[in-house]
Order: sequence, then C-alpha cells, then structure tokens
Amino acid sequence: MAEILAYVYKDGFFHLLHPVTKIVFIVVVSLMCIISTNPVFLFALVFVILLIAYLGKLYTEVIEQSRLIIMMSIVFIIITVITMPNGIIIGYLIPIGFPVLGGTVPVTWGAIEIGVILSLRFMILIYAFQIFIISTKPRDLVHTLEKMRMPIDYVLMFIIALRFIPTLQIEGIRIHEAQLARGYNPGPGFMGRIRSVAPIIVPLVSNALLRANVLGLTIDMRGYRTITRTHVREMELVFSDYAVMGSLVCIACGFFVLLVLQIM
Amino acid sequence: MIGIQEISYTYPHTVQEALHHISLFVPKGQCVMVTGPSGAGKTTLCLAAAGILYHEYGGKKEGRVSVEEKDVAGYASLAELAKKIGIVFDDPEAQMVFTTVEEEILSALEHRGLDAAVIEERLDAIMKATYLEELRNRSPHNLSGGQKQRVALAATLALGNEILILDEPTSELDERATQRITGILKTLKKQGKTILFVEHKYQHFRDMIDMLVVLENGRISAAGDPDTVMRDERIHRMVIPDFTGIRDVDTESGTVARRQEPPVISVHDLSYLYGDIPALNDISLEIHSGEFVAIVGENGSGKTTLVRHFNNLLVPTSGDVVIRGMNTRHCSVAQLARYVGLVFQNPDHMFFADTVKEEVAFGLRNLKRTGEEKIIDESLDNVGLLHTKHLYPRWLSRGERQRLAIACVIAMQPEIIILDEPTTGLDGNEARLVMRILKDLQKKGHTLIIITHNREMARSCADRIILMEKGTVVSDTSEGVP
Repeated sequence: MAEILAYVYKDGFFHLLHPVTKIVFIVVVSLMCIISTNPVFLFALVFVILLIAYLGKLYTEVIEQSRLIIMMSIVFIIITVITMPNGIIIGYLIPIGFPVLGGTVPVTWGAIEIGVILSLRFMILIYAFQIFIISTKPRDLVHTLEKMRMPIDYVLMFIIALRFIPTLQIEGIRIHEAQLARGYNPGPGFMGRIRSVAPIIVPLVSNALLRANVLGLTIDMRGYRTITRTHVREMELVFSDYAVMGSLVCIACGFFVLLVLQIM
Repeated sequence: MIGIQEISYTYPHTVQEALHHISLFVPKGQCVMVTGPSGAGKTTLCLAAAGILYHEYGGKKEGRVSVEEKDVAGYASLAELAKKIGIVFDDPEAQMVFTTVEEEILSALEHRGLDAAVIEERLDAIMKATYLEELRNRSPHNLSGGQKQRVALAATLALGNEILILDEPTSELDERATQRITGILKTLKKQGKTILFVEHKYQHFRDMIDMLVVLENGRISAAGDPDTVMRDERIHRMVIPDFTGIRDVDTESGTVARRQEPPVISVHDLSYLYGDIPALNDISLEIHSGEFVAIVGENGSGKTTLVRHFNNLLVPTSGDVVIRGMNTRHCSVAQLARYVGLVFQNPDHMFFADTVKEEVAFGLRNLKRTGEEKIIDESLDNVGLLHTKHLYPRWLSRGERQRLAIACVIAMQPEIIILDEPTTGLDGNEARLVMRILKDLQKKGHTLIIITHNREMARSCADRIILMEKGTVVSDTSEGVP
C-alpha cells in the first residue's frame, strides 16, 4: 500500500532536482492552471504532469491516488451543474416526467464546462503537489524554506502536517482492522464509511492528539527550533536545476504572451 | 545533576495528584531506574525531571526541580534545557519527524553546533552502536515497534547530552535488542552520563543501576540500593514477574485429550509477502482446541503476520489457513470474529465508546449476542474491572486498558483467543494477573495463543511453544507431547 504524501526513496530525475527548482515548478504550474480557463490547455497540463511523474519513476505512487482524485472531480462537476446553470440546456438531472421535482435541475453546457475546468485545476494542483512532496526529503525542504527566510515554526508546522498524513493513514488502517476483528461490519460503499465514523475516527483523533503532544515535545527537546544549524549534505543548485528553472520561466512567459494576445 | 524536591503535580481538569511530594536526587554519572505499576506516575516523573512539566504543562505544581544545580524555572525555554537533557518518550512512533532513519538522526545532530566532519563521524558511530545501519534509508513509519524504539533512542543519543531520561526504552524490544540497548547504556554510563530511566525489565539492567525507585500511586514507595529494595517481597513481586504456579491449574490432561480431536486451526504451506519482502515462508502447523500456545521470536520474525492470517486480516500469498474447517480465503473478518478473537498489542486502537460497558457491548452487538448485560458483567468480572463499568475507557491505566481489551474479546465468546504481547508495559503483578486470567480462560475451554518476546513467561504459562525466526517455524516444543 502506498502511503499518501510520504517521501518515496527513488533515483528518478525529479528526485535529483533542488527543492527550489521544484518550488518554482509548483508556482509556475499553479499560476498557469489558476489563470487559464482553456480546458484543452488544462488537459494538456494534466498530461504533462503525469508524464513528468512517469519519467521521474513516480507514476505508480501518483496513479494509486487517482481513484480518489477522479471521484472528487466528478463530485465537483455535479455540484457545479446543480449550483451554476449557465448556457444551453442539454437535459435535466431529474427527468421532466418525474413528479414534482422533474425538470427542476437543468444540465447546461456552461455548467459542465466550468465543472470540467475546476476539476482539471484540482487535478493539476494535487498531482503537482504530490510529485513535489514525494520526491523531496523533508529535511531538504526544511533547509530550503529556512534559506527562503520562512520562520522555523511555520516550516516545522508544514513538515509536521505532511508527516501526519501517512501516520494517520496507517493508524486508521490499524484501528479499522481492530474493529473488524471485533465483528464490526460497517458494510460497503458510502454508507459503510458513514457508519464507521465513530469506531474509527474517535480512536484515530484521540491517538493523534496524544501523538501530536509528544511530537511537539520531541521537536523542542531535539532542538529543531533553534536557529543555529550546521549545514550538512545540503543540495546545491546545479546545471540541471538552472536549465529546468530557465525552461519554466520561458514557458510562463510564453503562456502570458498567449494570454495577452488572447490566443488562449 | 537532577534534583527533585517535594514535587507534587495535578494534571489540568483532574483532581487526583499524579505525583505526591516526590523527592529524588540523581547524582552525576549515576544510573537510576524507576519502576512501578501502570498509572503510578512514572512518565509524569520523567516529564518533571526534564523540566517539561514546568515549561509546557498547566495544572497544579508544587516543589522544585533543578538540572545541573539550576532551577528549571531559570532556563529560558525547553530549547535551553534540551542542551543539557536528552529524553526518549514512551511512544516511539510519535518521535519520528522525518522520512528516513538517517535523516532522523542527522537532523538531531545538525543542531548541536558541531563541525560537518564531526557530524558525519558521530552519525556513523550512532548508527553502528544502535544497529541501524541496514535500516539507514528505510522510512521510520514502516519499521517494527522495536526498530522505531532504537531510532528514537539513536536520535536522542546523537544529541550527546550529559543527562539522559528514557521512558520505557525497551518495552517493544525482544531479548537480543534489549541486551543491545543495555550494552549501549552501560557504555554511556562508563562515559560519565547521568541516566534516569523508566523500565520493567529489572533483570536486564540490574548490573548498571545505582538506585532503584519504586513508584506507586504517585508516591515513592521504595528507593535506594537495588538489592536492599528488592529484599521486600512485595516489591520483588512487583518488579520481577513471578509466573510460578500459573500452570498448576491442571489443564494439561484436558489439552492432551483434545489433541485427538480435529484441529481448530490448520495452517498448510503458508507463505506471505509484504510487497516483495517475504514475511512468512512455507509454514505448516496445527493447533488443537484447549491448547495454550506461545509464539515466540525476535522482532520481525513473522509472529504477528502469522496470527493475522487466523482471522483473515491477511490473505495468504500461497497456502491455506483453515479455522474450524473453514478456509479463511472464503470467510470475512467479521464472520471469523465469532471463532477467533484478537487482542492487539496496543489496546488504544480499539477504544472509542464513552464507557467501559459500552466498549464491551460493541463486540456483542456486532455478533448480535443476546443477554448483553449479564455477559458484560461476567466479562468485566473475569478481568477484575467490574468496578470500572461506567468509567471512560481511556481514563484507565495501561494495565487496566489491557485487561479491558481482553474483556471486550472474551465477551464475544470466541473459541480461540489470540493476544499480541499481552504484558507489554505492565509491572510484575499486572503481568501475572493477565496471565492468570488467560490460564483461567483456557480452563473454561478456550484455545489461547499469545505472541511474546518473553520466553520465560512462555515457558511458565504455555503448554506449547512455537519459535519463529525469519518467517519460519524453527521449533515446536509440543512435538514431544503425546
């Protein structure tokens, strides 16, 4: 089982990039996907990010989380169709012949287009952030963010938040197994998940709170919050980093030119 | 080095004192072991000694704690105290901050103002001393409990502090790993380090401790030279588990008789892979009704992986597991829960209800058993917890929570009861009580399977010992039984 947002020890090209390069990548990709409203461009961006994941030997980890991301995207589209009717009506979510409610929720091209754009943006942000996090050692990230003058407490908060995701995932599975062994059968699907909330979430949250307390004390007692640090095995910016950053800047400039010329 | 004078402490929102007028002095270069029942205040004492109670906790505090003859109040923050004291907490998982073992230790070293070359040198030395070299690039989250404990200890040792406070540093370690930690602590003591640690494994540490402190109900009930303290018979029983007499409940004849019946568990050529890593290799065995089986072996030998197949939490990669004639491949975990009860190593993974009674009722309702009230009372009575029926489960001590986990399972009346390390973190009296309860359950007809590192306990309580090593069964002492 792949752990969500946990660093993956591999030797892909994305792993070798300096965290600063990856941060530039995240910034450029995020800006382009937020600004662009062109579904074709956004779709191409999803494809490019998945290609980067493939070339960086991170495809398996990225694809394993795809089911959840696609489900969320479908939910986005449905919510948009219901809440933002716009443009040509192509049908109705509840057929017209249905008593009372029939024909009350129109499905429009405009709403579908907005929903697709939102979903693609969501996919791009999640995939890009995922390959950034799973290819970057937290220690390298701490060093980089510190050098970028981010306060150490915020850096540690960010790292701890990330570190808790796989911990909660593993803990959740253990608790689920413990309850199954007690004959608990919440049933499949969405309702099963709703039913399993109390027996799983309560111990999960209780244990996580205790852990968070110990983790906070550990950080203090190991001196992670002190400013003085000897920098060991730090990553240096090398030619490939400059090349990637240069390319990203060129891509960003090209994007803005196309935007200004209203080609996109 | 550490001076504790008349410390009393009450946690916020509670009325009972966790520590009551505790005074203790740990001189430089000495090693002090603190022991006692769960809930006695041992962890709170560690927090007090490290200055954490003063700087981080609310609640009612009295008395004075000094570190290197300076009141902890005189240290500006925990970061200042961290230059003097290294502490290992009792939950190793919570102390893993980074994503590889090497990063975890290296990051601790980077904040000590050392040269880069010295850091690299110390990193290698610590990895070697704690036997973590092979795990260098592994994620700490995926290690076993014992391995995590070694990583937490290594990260603290890397700090190079003169004072070490360790809260149950070997609770999840097997015999060999405990001996390794004992060896490390002996070396540190020779180097002049001051060590205050909480432990239950007195015999492993006897050679190196200068003072033994016994804590009960937040009070020091005995303290001083270990041999003198241990002369008190009551203390002796509490510190060193005594399992003699437990086997005398005359279950041997019953067990032998039922060996003629078909086995309740049959394992045929079972192999299991975690990803590409083989965890079990071609295991075959049979367990008969009424047996008390101990599965022993070192951390990572495959003990827990084996028993997780008995209720289908794991599906065999190859081979079969048959429970009461049913192949587990064709049964759900919930179906098997009627026949196989599993008490996990950490009881806190199961508790979610508001009262002890509701916690026990959960399993009964899942199996739709009738006569709920009577069964709950009987189950709680069996483990000596009837008086806690209306309490919140997480308020109970570690030993009580362990017994509650057993009550939750026995209420479901499964024929087979499996317990993963049932005495971890318990003192001698509690461990004996738990084993007594298990032996009584065997007497009532249940089949008991325990997983343990403690071979002494296995020899004293079980009728059959299965020794595992690297995913295989290397010995099964029942083979000589007719």
